Amino acid sequence: MSGEFFIFIVLSLIAIGGGIMMINLTKVVHMVVALVFTFISIAGIYVMLSAEFIAVVQILIYSGAITIMMLFGIMLTRHNDKSETSGGGFRKFLIFLAILGFGLVFYLGIYQLELGEPSTSLHENNTEQIGIALYSKYIIPFELTSVILLVALIGAIVLAKRDDKEGEERE
Amino acid sequence: MIEGLLTSEATWLHFFIYFALTVLLLFIVLGFVTYAILAERKVMGFMQLRHGPNQVGGRWGLLQTVADVLKLLIKEDAIPRAADKPLFILAPLIAFTPAFMVLAIIPFTDRFQFADIGVGLLYYIAVSGITTVGVVTAGWASNNKYALMGAMRAAAQMISYEIPLVMSVIGVILLTGSMNLNDIVLAQENGWYILWQPIAFIVFFIAAVAELNRVPFDLAEAESELVAGYFVEYTGFRWAFFMLAEYVYMFAMSALITVVFLGGWLPLPYLGFIPGAVWFALKFMVVIFLLIWFRVTFPRIRADQLMEFGWKVLLPVAIANIFLTALLKEWINLF
Repeated sequence: MSGEFFIFIVLSLIAIGGGIMMINLTKVVHMVVALVFTFISIAGIYVMLSAEFIAVVQILIYSGAITIMMLFGIMLTRHNDKSETSGGGFRKFLIFLAILGFGLVFYLGIYQLELGEPSTSLHENNTEQIGIALYSKYIIPFELTSVILLVALIGAIVLAKRDDKEGEERE
Repeated sequence: MIEGLLTSEATWLHFFIYFALTVLLLFIVLGFVTYAILAERKVMGFMQLRHGPNQVGGRWGLLQTVADVLKLLIKEDAIPRAADKPLFILAPLIAFTPAFMVLAIIPFTDRFQFADIGVGLLYYIAVSGITTVGVVTAGWASNNKYALMGAMRAAAQMISYEIPLVMSVIGVILLTGSMNLNDIVLAQENGWYILWQPIAFIVFFIAAVAELNRVPFDLAEAESELVAGYFVEYTGFRWAFFMLAEYVYMFAMSALITVVFLGGWLPLPYLGFIPGAVWFALKFMVVIFLLIWFRVTFPRIRADQLMEFGWKVLLPVAIANIFLTALLKEWINLF
């Protein structure tokens, strides 16, 4: 057993465990913390795949920024909510069937998947390669994404502003 | 070294070699923290015309911090009854672990480094962001309004100042053409980046002070407003972990500033006979002194001033610096 394999097992156990805990825990904040563990171990798996840039960005965006946004959202709203278990036996059976079907479809899909020859030079200057690909081959989708993000940003500001004015009028 | 350890058989020998090296670094850092606290109190004392600690451990108070830590360790470990117990226990660990993890990529000299990864600079910023989760968790789990407010302030501040922090080093990355910290140091042989990128240095330094939660940006633990901030309910050993995380970050951030802007282990011209480790230590101590100096000199700013300064001053200046650097690099070909 090589060290690589051992680390892979540990990381995937943490990732899956975090996911399961996220579903099974009852308090919302606990769920988010479990989610952080999943995000970080997925970043670890990216490192093992030599995609160091993606790994770092995964930590920066997902376990850093998005988690904090979630925590803020939870704290500013009704945070003492606990998830409730619902549904009778028949509903549970249906859900079980759906999960089984989902698993089957994905098993078949992944099992038949042919990825072709894996390229061997992707890990060298990882960031540089991503940059070159983004700014030469995928420049239009990249720019479009930035426009969409800008629209979302301005939209958020407009929404927040309008809220403020209405509040003032009510006073 | 890392490559070899990863692809080799996972033998106990490799494990113990790596473990021993890490523990060694941990003890170096703990020693640093012990005397950084003393140095901070001494320098603050002198700047305020006081003596500072001078009772325990001789005339210079050399054992003062040791005694303080001992006191913390034998204190009663109290967990509030209304606290969220699992998170309360987990939070100090989430806050401390990333502080120690970021040290892995700092090149102390050309040979003494634990991991040489291509995205070193980004790794530091990304991993240090996880501490925010620990801080927010601590504030939440304490079930105390001051703790929660402190945690909220800490999170807002850390996220806002992370952006100028990243933006300011983009100038350095542009000039180097790499995010690897070793490459960044080697690119400074013709002059440190504090000379080529003075604006970036100033922005980075201010944002770094804010990220470290130190005066004048220590709103998250403003004593006069929030009692103590996010760790109000913590005592003894768990509280010591938060303090430790703070000082380990001070160590890491000073080392990072040394590496990125002050040329790391590179000597001044004609002084190459002094070993690189000494140079690193000297520059490192200058940065630490600057941080302490900042703390003694400036008053704490208000929360709204903090946000305005981050978004309306630092961020535009950092972006202008990127633009200027790109112009200099492409048109004038200075570098």
